[in-house]
Amino acid sequence: MEIKPRILIIDDEEIVLDSCSRILEGSGYATRTAADGSVGLRQVAEFQPDLVFVDLKMPGISGFEVLERIRALDPSIVAIVITGYATLASAVEAMQKGAYDFLPKPFTPDEFRLITKRGIEKRELVLETIALRREKELLQENFAAIISHELKSPLSAVQQNLIRLMQELSDRVNEAQMARLERMKSRINDLLEMIHTWLRAISSDIGSIKENFGPTSVADVISKAVENVLPYAVRKDIEVDTLVGEPLDLVHGDEGTLVEAVVNLLGNAIRYSRSGSRVRVSAEQQADRILVAVQDSGIGIDEAELPYIFGSFYRGRAGAGDEAGAGLGLAITRRIVEAHGGTITVTSRLGEGSTFVIALPAQGSDTGTHHTPEAGGPENPQGGRVT
Amino acid sequence: MSQETRLLIVDDDPDFVEGIKSILESAGYLVDAAYNPRTGLEALKTKPYDLLLLDIMMGRGAEGIMVARKLRKDPVLSQIPVLIITGLREQIAFLFPGQPLHPHLLPVDELVEKPVEPKLLLDKVSALLELAAKRKAPK
Repeated sequence: MEIKPRILIIDDEEIVLDSCSRILEGSGYATRTAADGSVGLRQVAEFQPDLVFVDLKMPGISGFEVLERIRALDPSIVAIVITGYATLASAVEAMQKGAYDFLPKPFTPDEFRLITKRGIEKRELVLETIALRREKELLQENFAAIISHELKSPLSAVQQNLIRLMQELSDRVNEAQMARLERMKSRINDLLEMIHTWLRAISSDIGSIKENFGPTSVADVISKAVENVLPYAVRKDIEVDTLVGEPLDLVHGDEGTLVEAVVNLLGNAIRYSRSGSRVRVSAEQQADRILVAVQDSGIGIDEAELPYIFGSFYRGRAGAGDEAGAGLGLAITRRIVEAHGGTITVTSRLGEGSTFVIALPAQGSDTGTHHTPEAGGPENPQGGRVT
Repeated sequence: MSQETRLLIVDDDPDFVEGIKSILESAGYLVDAAYNPRTGLEALKTKPYDLLLLDIMMGRGAEGIMVARKLRKDPVLSQIPVLIITGLREQIAFLFPGQPLHPHLLPVDELVEKPVEPKLLLDKVSALLELAAKRKAPK
């Protein structure tokens, strides 16, 4: 290695500093020492060490505080504590504060060399992890750009021309031909939607929706979501029941993405249900939480698969084939819900169906409008009470 | 009024341009196209246009934004209404390395998503033209 790993030793005993420096001499490290905590912290900022040894018992700033301040300065610096009184308790406490290892006094030169070598190796791993994470983030960003431009643009151009052709040819093609054109348009639309879903999943700023948070009615979210999936449900001959137990507090959120989250759950419920069955979406208030549940009596999820379903690219096995989605809906849904400070849970039995529950924190009960006693009024014709 | 109305499309995808150009021409607009930001800006400076249809993702990134910024700085060209037609969803606004994208780049901006339904496109175009005409009309 061309750049020497930098090691800083902070200890109030001169003899420790001396012997440690001497042990490491000629081992290819750049070593510095500091006789107390405040000098040591100055050295950390100036020397930018890879590895720091900190004596726990020093006059002035304590070793524990030095540890904490190093961590605040640069959490990637590896710290090892030197304890004169080798009590397990202080070593454990130090490691809880972020120390990587501890070295009990007295120690032999070999012990010191070994722990130094391990500390430097740890530092290299930490740096490598950081670099890899950065690379991954960059790749994701670029991937989003590539998908957007290289995949979506040509499809949009095809779709645009198809739309125009359908208009131009409307009086020249017969009904069956027009139906085929319609079908082409809808298939391309599905592809565009899928690309959009991918973009949502990999673009890292679902969190940025927080900027647009405002008082949001869960009843409105549900009725918009139902409206959105209704054509699909009708096509599969599945009935969607809505049960909104009023009054509900408002939630602090973004209506658009909440609708998206509920649409994803409803879409799945419909996708994995047999035709002729029912899907139910309900909302109720439990103390300071609003619970939105989407229940189906479809194929259900294997218990062994439950831990994975909220991860990216998970797809229901039994739903493969023409029922397949992009495998990202639940991952996005979870991210949306979490951005709202909520949680999403699922219970499911194979062959009996699944229930997904989104729990959102209710906004303070001073919003007024949704506390009127006449629940299920004209604005909510499908509404019923959850008992 | 559309007989004399001249539109410019700046988009680097000739196929997409074909698709919307014929919609606009069927409504009686005179339509020119430029396939990169540079020739687009040249065209704007040499001919009077009533409206610009602008793509965002061109060339090596969001070059459409650069066009929009240049227009805003020009006292004459900043009067031209701009309809942004983009493949990016308004609500995504995800970041291209170091480049936040916001839909409202100019005070007169409108944004539609690719692909666009003919009726929506024509509605937006005529609405923007009307707004611009009102702005020009003496009070």
